[in-house]
Amino acid sequence: MSTAPAATPGGTTMGIEAGAALEAQALVRCFGATRALDGLSFTVGRGQLFGLVGADGAGKTTAIRALAGLITLDAGRALVLGRDPAKGGVAVRESLGLMPQQASLYPDLSVAENLRFFARLYCLPRALFRERSARLLDITRLGPFLDRRADALSGGMYKKLALACALLHRPEVLLLDEPTNGVDPVSRRELWALLHELVHDGMTVLLSTPYMDEAERCHCVGLIHHGRLLLAGEPRALLATFEDETYEVEGGEREQVDQGLASLAEVHAASPAGATLRIAVARGSAGTVAGALAPLAASLRPVAPNFEDLFLARVRQEAA
Amino acid sequence: MITSPRWSVQLRAVVRKEIRQTVRDRRIMFMLIVAPLLQTVVFGFAVDFQFDHVPTLVVDHDASAQSREHIRRLLADGTLRDAGHTTELGAVQRKLQTGDAAAALVLPEGLARAFAAQRAAEVQVILDGGDPNRAVVVAGAASRYFGEAAESMVKERLAAHGIAPPPLIRATPRIWFNPSLKTPPYMIPGVMTILLVITTTLVTAMGLAREREMGTLEQVLVTPIRPLFLLVGKMTPFLVIGCFDVLLVLTAGVWIFGVPLHGSLALVATGTVLYVLCTLGIGLLISTVSRTQQQAFLAGFLFAMPAILLSGVMTPIRAMPFWLQVVTTFNPVRYYIEVLRAVLLKGAGLVDIWWRLLALLGFGLALLTVASLRFHKRVA
Repeated sequence: MSTAPAATPGGTTMGIEAGAALEAQALVRCFGATRALDGLSFTVGRGQLFGLVGADGAGKTTAIRALAGLITLDAGRALVLGRDPAKGGVAVRESLGLMPQQASLYPDLSVAENLRFFARLYCLPRALFRERSARLLDITRLGPFLDRRADALSGGMYKKLALACALLHRPEVLLLDEPTNGVDPVSRRELWALLHELVHDGMTVLLSTPYMDEAERCHCVGLIHHGRLLLAGEPRALLATFEDETYEVEGGEREQVDQGLASLAEVHAASPAGATLRIAVARGSAGTVAGALAPLAASLRPVAPNFEDLFLARVRQEAA
Repeated sequence: MITSPRWSVQLRAVVRKEIRQTVRDRRIMFMLIVAPLLQTVVFGFAVDFQFDHVPTLVVDHDASAQSREHIRRLLADGTLRDAGHTTELGAVQRKLQTGDAAAALVLPEGLARAFAAQRAAEVQVILDGGDPNRAVVVAGAASRYFGEAAESMVKERLAAHGIAPPPLIRATPRIWFNPSLKTPPYMIPGVMTILLVITTTLVTAMGLAREREMGTLEQVLVTPIRPLFLLVGKMTPFLVIGCFDVLLVLTAGVWIFGVPLHGSLALVATGTVLYVLCTLGIGLLISTVSRTQQQAFLAGFLFAMPAILLSGVMTPIRAMPFWLQVVTTFNPVRYYIEVLRAVLLKGAGLVDIWWRLLALLGFGLALLTVASLRFHKRVA
């Protein structure tokens, strides 16, 4: 996995073959009255690490399931390496790895048995299986727990096993639905290191996450909201287009400050960050906002904009 | 490994996984191994349509040597059992109500005198109609005994006058296939039939619902295995276990309960495999309409109860109203029990039962096709 030629992480020059790895073309899928996907479109180039960011219920899981060919679409087309994942047959299945958000392994089988079962479904020759599983067990540090039943693993270990099962056949495209959800910070860091390594070796990875800070680690991010893509692009480039100014509100009574800010049209986003409150305001309107906050004994301190500010402002703008 | 085709590697993986999971699940193992034996024993010993030792109250108003002799002889047959003596009608009512007695034999006062005077006499039998089968048996036993008693009295009387008794017509029943009219030979095939519904229908329905519930179904479906092989792999172990259970119950039936083996075992095996196709198909169908294991379990029972009651396992189909008899022609369970009883008890051959086997095959293929199409559709 580390023998691939060195390339700049985050670079877009890694796609050797032409054509996108993943394509969502105006996907529509309804569950009853809710439109889980409402014309979702995006493209993931080969060798890219794409982050699908959005709040719970935004349609992230449905989008991933559509790309994996697990649900039928009411309209639109999903493509994996140019093929329909639902009808593409063995070729698509061989090139695709999926790690769903919810449990997906056999709880009553051990770590080793789960690995072996999925390896057989991919018809991995025995020698190759031994080699790859040894490597994956090493990376995930699950080696000492080979005989432990999957339902006796911790949240982080379970996710790592699920990832190992999805990687056994060395897919070209890996889909991860909230891989870091419910994982402790150490495992989370390890998981990200592994993902970067995989992408470095040429794998295309699409992951969904509700955490904005994780979005910044991707080559490309897409903000999904109510089943549609609001923003997409390279994180730094996106941030560069952000025109709002960001501040931290210091002092004041939180409730009063919240009320005061809610009535101001200039405030595009507000999010609590620990004990303080971050806000994004329209360029040049800091004076107005500061003036409104002064009677509440609160003041503004400028901070560098981050992803959360951008996304919250964009979602707020969409709602307006 | 490299030489075997891909589907066979995948199929074997699913079968192996399924066996491993089954062996680890105590509840399922109980359903598959202990339940069959329990059912055999329970049905073999407890379900008995023969009525022996029916508790009978004796109300002997006559209290003569003759009345006592009649009672002794009637009870000696074993069909009736002495449940106490009384002369009060109130006591009779109480005991029949509590179920301590199921019948009462009332010998009127002056019975012996009536015989002596050559007058007609009447003996009353009071029956608890709550259980119609038992009431009929008691009435039959009493009337048979007193009929024979009357006959022998007539003969004695005639002999005393030096007259030869007139010729009599008597029906002599000769019972074929199950001469001692034992219940187990009738019931054990029923146990085999019911058992397969449990081991195959319920377990298949629950097994697939479980994969759906656990999220494992989707993980398997993103792999290159074709859904059909997944289904076949999941059902194969239960087909084998079902056939094993049939053998287990049949062996127990033959050794413990004396079930005859008149026909060909190959025919029994053929019928069993065809029947299991049907029960697996139903299980698969149920799994496509249920989201959880619990739903699958309930749906399984919802199917099993009427299917068993409308199969002739418990009660004869001819006794059902016509429209229900029509319904039973669509019940695969009916054809299997008919095959089993015909082959095991009567030694029927292929010539006698071929159309039933054909019906099972037809139902099985139709059910499996519809169910796997529905499964594919639900997956997509």
